[in-house]
Amino acid sequence: MTAADNAVVVNGLSYAYPGGPPVLRGVGFQIAAGECVGLIGPSGAGKSTLLLHLNGLLPGTPSANGASVSVNGCRISRESLRQIRRDVGLIFQDPNDQLFCPTVREDVAFGPLNLGLTRSEIETRIDESLSAVGLSGFEHRSTLRLSDGERKRVCLAGVLACRPSVLALDEPSAGLDPRARRRLSRFVQSYSGTCVIATHDLDLVAEVCSRTIVLDEGQIHADGPAEQILSDGRLMRAHGLEIPLRIQYAVRRDEES
Amino acid sequence: MTETSERISPPAFRPIRPETRVMASLAVIAMSTSLSAEHWPAQAALGVLVFVALTIARVPADWILRRLAVFLPALVLLTISFPAMHGFRTGWDLMFTILFRATVSFLALLWLTRVLAFDAFLSVLLRWRVPGVLVAMLAFMHRYLFVLWDELDRMRTAWRAREFGHGRTAGRSIAAARLIGMLVVRGLTRAERVHLAMLARGWDGTVRRIDNLPDDDATLSTSQTVTS
Repeated sequence: MTAADNAVVVNGLSYAYPGGPPVLRGVGFQIAAGECVGLIGPSGAGKSTLLLHLNGLLPGTPSANGASVSVNGCRISRESLRQIRRDVGLIFQDPNDQLFCPTVREDVAFGPLNLGLTRSEIETRIDESLSAVGLSGFEHRSTLRLSDGERKRVCLAGVLACRPSVLALDEPSAGLDPRARRRLSRFVQSYSGTCVIATHDLDLVAEVCSRTIVLDEGQIHADGPAEQILSDGRLMRAHGLEIPLRIQYAVRRDEES
Repeated sequence: MTETSERISPPAFRPIRPETRVMASLAVIAMSTSLSAEHWPAQAALGVLVFVALTIARVPADWILRRLAVFLPALVLLTISFPAMHGFRTGWDLMFTILFRATVSFLALLWLTRVLAFDAFLSVLLRWRVPGVLVAMLAFMHRYLFVLWDELDRMRTAWRAREFGHGRTAGRSIAAARLIGMLVVRGLTRAERVHLAMLARGWDGTVRRIDNLPDDDATLSTSQTVTS
């Protein structure tokens, strides 16, 4: 695989919030275009901070000490931020942070409006993205009067409306009921672009990700095929994780048969 | 303006343009505050007009009374000293004139909130060339009043869950003050996260609203986009 095939390339990325301890310490990895990667690790491992870096949202460029973050071959810098944010769709953990417009329609339109699209194109994207998350007909609903699951789906629609090539999802299944979680899982499985999912929902990772990265104390401790990583009990326990139930059941079934 | 969809407009007012509704409300307020006490028939006519408008808008009486119950005591407190300051007869006249004017103005605003959704109101402001930053601030303030209220509600519930009903009044006051302090801090951190979420979707400081774009395929640069 050549460098050009990689949708995301992170090299030697370190970061500390002002006055705080280092959150990321020399993180480096590559994600191929179309790959779905699960980013797992205990709370405070640096997963959300890493996702914010993919969108160029944290102050300062990561170029200090030779570190770099590139998306679709474009290195993050002050000049390239617009392009980077066009390419990377970031969904935040708390939907209340992301829904700031009065109606669903306006919130979904927020990104496309900033892309400078025409009204007809924006209307088309609103319809398509709401339909993709199963919320057609919600256009004129107030964002204040949605359930948590619906809010998450509106956030996803708002990002999809920008048609990013890379989706970065921060705890996408948190607070979802089983039906909404299944819908999310189906959506990610059918998504053709690159996807990075930071989550504690290891079953979701087992379901939808082909590859898993274990991040702990700001460092990558494992990177490989999802099934191999997730079924490594010693590795999982060492980083405050556990083998997903679906893998545990599968192993038990195999042993019994 | 608690609802945000234009669909809240009662059928009788839907054919009336949002601009006209805002203008009507502002006109009533302007007239009510500018008419002197001698023009009491005109004041009374304004009161009747607002009453009729509220009736047509099918505003429930208890909804109005609940709001007046908060508004009027504060106003009475402000004006109660007038009889002592301006002489008995003049003072009472002044007090009742102010009370009447303020109540009519308040009812006119209540009527507006029932016949015009907040997002439509913001669109009117944008069309009136009110600075985009101001409109954006109003929109975010409206949105985050509810978020902060939810936050306060959660904090209050958590506090009650561990208070066991034994808190003394002084202790409760201190706890309430801490709660408000925490709310301010939480509000600030949330504001930072919201800003990040806006940047992530290409926000560049320009307020853009889909309803202000032209219907055809003209580009955004020729639209009524309001730049901060």
